[in-house]
Amino acid sequence: MIEKGKISSFQMALIMYPTIEATALLTVPGITGTYAERDMWISPILGSINGFFTVFILYQLHKLYPKETIIQYSEHIVGRVLGKILGFIYLFFLLHIGSIILREYSTFVSVSFLQTTPPSVIIGGMVLVCAFAVRGGIEVLGRTANLFVPILFLLPIIAAILLLKDFDPKHMLPIMEHGMMPSVMGAAAPQAWFGETFLITMILPFLSDRDKGMKWSLILVVTIMVNFVITNLLAVFLFGGTASGYTFPLFTAIRYITISTFFEHLESVTIAIWITGIFIKISMFYYALVIGTSQWLKLSDYRPIVFPFGFLLTVLGCQWVAPNFEELNHFLVTIYPFYGSLLMTLIPALFLLIAVIRKKKRKKNFVKNM
Amino acid sequence: MFRRKRIKKVDNQNSPQQQIAKQQVLSSVLNDNLQVLRSMYQDCFDVVFRTFLMGGETKAVLVYIEGLSNIRELDDHVLAPLMEETGGKVRSPQSILREKMHISKLKEVKTLTDCIENISIGNPVLLLDQEVSGLALGIAQWEKRSIEEPTAESLVRGPREGFVETLGVNTSMLRRKIKSPDLKMKSMKIGRYTSTNIVIAYIEGLADQTLIKEVEKRLQRIDIDSVLESGYIEELIEDNPRSPFPQLINTERPDTVASNLLEGRVAILVDGTPFVLIAPIGFFSLLQSPEDYYQRSLVSSTIRLMRMLFMWISLVLPALYVGVTTYHQEMVPTSLLISLAAARESVPFPAFVEALLMEITFEALREAGVRLPKQIGAAVSIVGALVIGQAAVSAGLVSAPMVIVVAITGIASFMMPHYTQGLALRLLRFPLILLAATLGLLGIMFGVMTIIVHLCTLRSFGLPYLTPIAPLQGRELKDTFFRAPWWMMNSRPHLTGKYNAHRQVLGEKPNPEKEP
Repeated sequence: MIEKGKISSFQMALIMYPTIEATALLTVPGITGTYAERDMWISPILGSINGFFTVFILYQLHKLYPKETIIQYSEHIVGRVLGKILGFIYLFFLLHIGSIILREYSTFVSVSFLQTTPPSVIIGGMVLVCAFAVRGGIEVLGRTANLFVPILFLLPIIAAILLLKDFDPKHMLPIMEHGMMPSVMGAAAPQAWFGETFLITMILPFLSDRDKGMKWSLILVVTIMVNFVITNLLAVFLFGGTASGYTFPLFTAIRYITISTFFEHLESVTIAIWITGIFIKISMFYYALVIGTSQWLKLSDYRPIVFPFGFLLTVLGCQWVAPNFEELNHFLVTIYPFYGSLLMTLIPALFLLIAVIRKKKRKKNFVKNM
Repeated sequence: MFRRKRIKKVDNQNSPQQQIAKQQVLSSVLNDNLQVLRSMYQDCFDVVFRTFLMGGETKAVLVYIEGLSNIRELDDHVLAPLMEETGGKVRSPQSILREKMHISKLKEVKTLTDCIENISIGNPVLLLDQEVSGLALGIAQWEKRSIEEPTAESLVRGPREGFVETLGVNTSMLRRKIKSPDLKMKSMKIGRYTSTNIVIAYIEGLADQTLIKEVEKRLQRIDIDSVLESGYIEELIEDNPRSPFPQLINTERPDTVASNLLEGRVAILVDGTPFVLIAPIGFFSLLQSPEDYYQRSLVSSTIRLMRMLFMWISLVLPALYVGVTTYHQEMVPTSLLISLAAARESVPFPAFVEALLMEITFEALREAGVRLPKQIGAAVSIVGALVIGQAAVSAGLVSAPMVIVVAITGIASFMMPHYTQGLALRLLRFPLILLAATLGLLGIMFGVMTIIVHLCTLRSFGLPYLTPIAPLQGRELKDTFFRAPWWMMNSRPHLTGKYNAHRQVLGEKPNPEKEP
């Protein structure tokens, strides 16, 4: 196996938490708010169904092929040629999403505090740090997540506590004024983010306690859902139905924190904490990309391709992914929910279906031959 | 290719003495032996050859190095009885030796290598005519420093003894603390010229056997001409030789070594230095002082938390100051910002240059203070107060807030209980200041994340460096951020002490009322 390290399923959950949450904290409340307005806190609950579904599918696939990732078992399920093609599509998808995340991050950082710094520096620096982590392997990723995630996890909760006095719970009334439909529409974006639990396929083969993988993946989805609900409620309590007017509602909300005129302007600190989350998110996609590629090409070691891929990610993230942030946001609102779900949920579901049918057939043949 | 060739060449180079002496058996003719020894110790002023007649008839020679043996004992218990006339009775040299020598530690030497080894550690060698073996007399004694309080790690409460340069004294100090025969000490020699004695100490049944083997293997791999301090060994057996962080603890305190041995770790004692190495260690054991375990647990826990806070301060405070004043002024409360701006108004340099200037000056001052003879120490502090202080501010070179920042950072780095870790943090502060000056908070985050990723990749003899935080060992947090009271310290650290997990009986919380 290429990766020699082992991590526990708890560490897997810790890696996956910022992998989903980091960018979701930024943009999802805004996107959800466009459709669901003051019902936007219901959307993550609906969206999480996709999370449970994806985890279930990938875990079942993992049980069928315990030592392989999706890049490897796609060949076993749909045949060599088709499997390789799908594997390539997945790698391209990871590269694409990875650079989209980098773009989101660099836009956010330059809007927030480094207005004149070229994005290549902001992205390049981050990719370099991520490359160190990726070279260290899954164990290092697990350990860094172990250190960073507890702080990140508390971020929305601390923000909620500090904003308590500005809350107006009446903003959330009336609930479901226009029926269920707006919140279902609003769930389109969160469900795509929940679909990113897909990446557990890259970690599951390297677990030291396989039997707990399912348990921790489910706990992960529930935790993220709760955190989404808190974040969205926070936006609703503060801004009501107008939350969608802000590109980054949570961070706008944190800007409002003022305690005894000394404790204010916490957004820089918040961003600093958030950067640790985005660091893990990028590293995870980067790691999946690198590991996937070396499995696709059947390399003996993944380390030599870490820096080349880092360069590729930087270039894609700086320029090619989207000409500007509006276009990127448009992509995230309209295309990504379908693009993401297709690759992260539907195709794996199809894989599972084929694999199960094949297995049954084989059993039947086996019985017949007896 | 060229490099490999060169290495091979070096391998073949042995010191000339060793080549001659290797396994050469002593001859029965005394003069032959003497000739070889004399030629080897040619131009060695300190080697004494004392020829005498044993019992008035057998020719004998004592070879020893001046200052390494107890001369009085040699005179009274060896030379005097042996030179006594037998009074006509013919007796074999063996029987004379057996009856007349009042020395407890005797060893027979048969080869020249043995002979030289004994002579060089201070055991005089007695060679007789017509004998194929000599006798090494265990009366080595030399001037050594008496046991003193360790200067680098002083405590308010705790034992006041520290290791000395003599290996035998150090091992005896350990043995006095741990009396169980399970405390094992394996010895080996490293160094072509110095052939320094090195002892691996561990407690059988507590320390992992594979760990002991690994330590032995790494030590045996070493082929170096000299070992003058344990620092040589440390750099030759580390897991990550290029890291700024120490992967072995060095300590002068026998109690620290004993407590680490009791947690299943291995100690490496090197002759000639009071610093003992301990492996494997984690980052958080570097933040602990032995005194934590002697003071009340509540106090120690608070101090530990403070130490962690100040570790961060010593690493990032100057960078944070530079970053905030250059890029994120909005983070500073308005009133403070105004006074900061007023203080910085007359300073000609940007914050980055100011910080660099002050930090480098401070490091220079500290280095000067360490190396200086004690008599002129006072001069340094006077000059230092001028450079980092009011004079510098009133001269308009630096701003007063910067002086405060540098001073707090300095105090914070003095708080680190292990000097080597403080050094690593001092070193990493400078790249962080540079990053803060170029990218602000983002730069600091890049730097800090890189450091943390690096710490996550580190291992000390296979043990992840950041245990028990990453990977998380929930039960061991009681001895990481806090120091649980002794009646709660029921288990040893999992990764080093799993072979004998229980430290004590459960339920030892004192509760006098319930006792019958």
